[in-house]
Amino acid sequence: MGAQDLDFLSLASLLLFLLPVFYINRYLKIAINKSVSTSIIRMCIQLGLVGVYLEFLFKWNSPVLNTVYLLIMITIACQSIIRSCRLKLKLFFLPVFFSLLIPFTTILLFFNGVVIKLENLFDAKYLIPIGGMLLGNSLRSIIIGLTNFYSEIKKNEKVYLYSISLFNNRLHALKPYFIQSFSAAITPIIASMATIGLVSLPGMMTGQILGGSIPFVAIKYQIAIMLSIFYTEYFSTMLAVIFSLKVGFNELDILNKDIFSIKA
Amino acid sequence: MIEFKKISLNHNGKEIFSNLDLTILKNEKVLIQGKSGIGKTTFLKLLLGFETIDSGTIYFNRQKIDKFHIKNIRKQIFYLSQDIDLKEGPVDNLIEEILEANSIEDPGSRYLNKHLNFLELSPELLKENVSKLSGGERQRIGLLICILLDRPVWLLDEPTSALDNTMKNKIVSYVLEQNKTIVIISHDTVWSKNEKMRIERWK
Repeated sequence: MGAQDLDFLSLASLLLFLLPVFYINRYLKIAINKSVSTSIIRMCIQLGLVGVYLEFLFKWNSPVLNTVYLLIMITIACQSIIRSCRLKLKLFFLPVFFSLLIPFTTILLFFNGVVIKLENLFDAKYLIPIGGMLLGNSLRSIIIGLTNFYSEIKKNEKVYLYSISLFNNRLHALKPYFIQSFSAAITPIIASMATIGLVSLPGMMTGQILGGSIPFVAIKYQIAIMLSIFYTEYFSTMLAVIFSLKVGFNELDILNKDIFSIKA
Repeated sequence: MIEFKKISLNHNGKEIFSNLDLTILKNEKVLIQGKSGIGKTTFLKLLLGFETIDSGTIYFNRQKIDKFHIKNIRKQIFYLSQDIDLKEGPVDNLIEEILEANSIEDPGSRYLNKHLNFLELSPELLKENVSKLSGGERQRIGLLICILLDRPVWLLDEPTSALDNTMKNKIVSYVLEQNKTIVIISHDTVWSKNEKMRIERWK
């Protein structure tokens, strides 16, 4: 039993509600009509394309092809993270790439092999949606972590340098900024684990129930995925900061000013 | 002890130093004077490796300031920055953390109280948060850390600007009787009046 199919016309009927939204925005001079339209158009095109190549990936279900697809997803995530952090892509690509790759692959393979006990670890049906969820969430936490870390140090550079002189230990001087930014990055997932089910039914669960799973199965999957998201976020954010130190600071432990893509 | 050889440095096109030569001997007390913006603070920062020069060489104990020596060099320098940029938190925790990071044993309350007394700081002040301290208290907490760390070289940037006259005099005589290499930047005349002081006037 699957969910009832939607015909395109009924899907398009949801756009009706855009009329009052656009009208109110215009009336109140909230200048977001253009970005709302672009976002919706992008969403439709991107998801449409995903639909096409997911069909293709699922049909072939080749481990190599699936892995390549995941690597491409990591690469795109990486670019998006660094751009959102307003850091230079060239400098931060490798550190961020590996900070995503290592926890992501470990948790994903563990999830598929030990938790679900798949015979084919690289089965597209599991690998791609679950990988996507892990990546999407780590993306957000790494952005918060890296942005906070570097902007706090830049803002408090005098205090940071003074700590270097007093502690004579870079890691010691960096610790308060690390703790601060890491907590900020990881707090949302902790909060959402605490309120899940009370406030909202998560998207994956909704999807599974619509797709025909019995609620209890959907819930077990949801718990497993939440834990996996938490671990992936935890380790990837931590590694992202640690791996980035080599490019973020010069050999005398001073913050490199040319790491920011836009001069603030 | 400290040797600046033909140092040149530009900041955003503005010349700070050109061919600066300066030698400071062991246990010498040097006062640097000059109008603001002339590079006095930058000079101290260069020794700590917080700024990098365009050309020339700086030696500290015959060691070049570079990635191989910087840890060892910083270990020997106490720097009192103008605003004493201590990180946030209660003063006593901070002091404990600094001593621990420098593998210095807890000095014990008697030793600590002696210096608190000398600096006219009440022990209750140690429970305060760094951000709650007044300018003068900050300066004296900075000096307390300086005494506790007991590093061989002291770089003091305006160490007495927020202190009253009695305290200024007390600090000057205390600092100048130390067997340490000390560089001071100050507009306070109490420093320049003292004959132990070598005065460098920058124009």
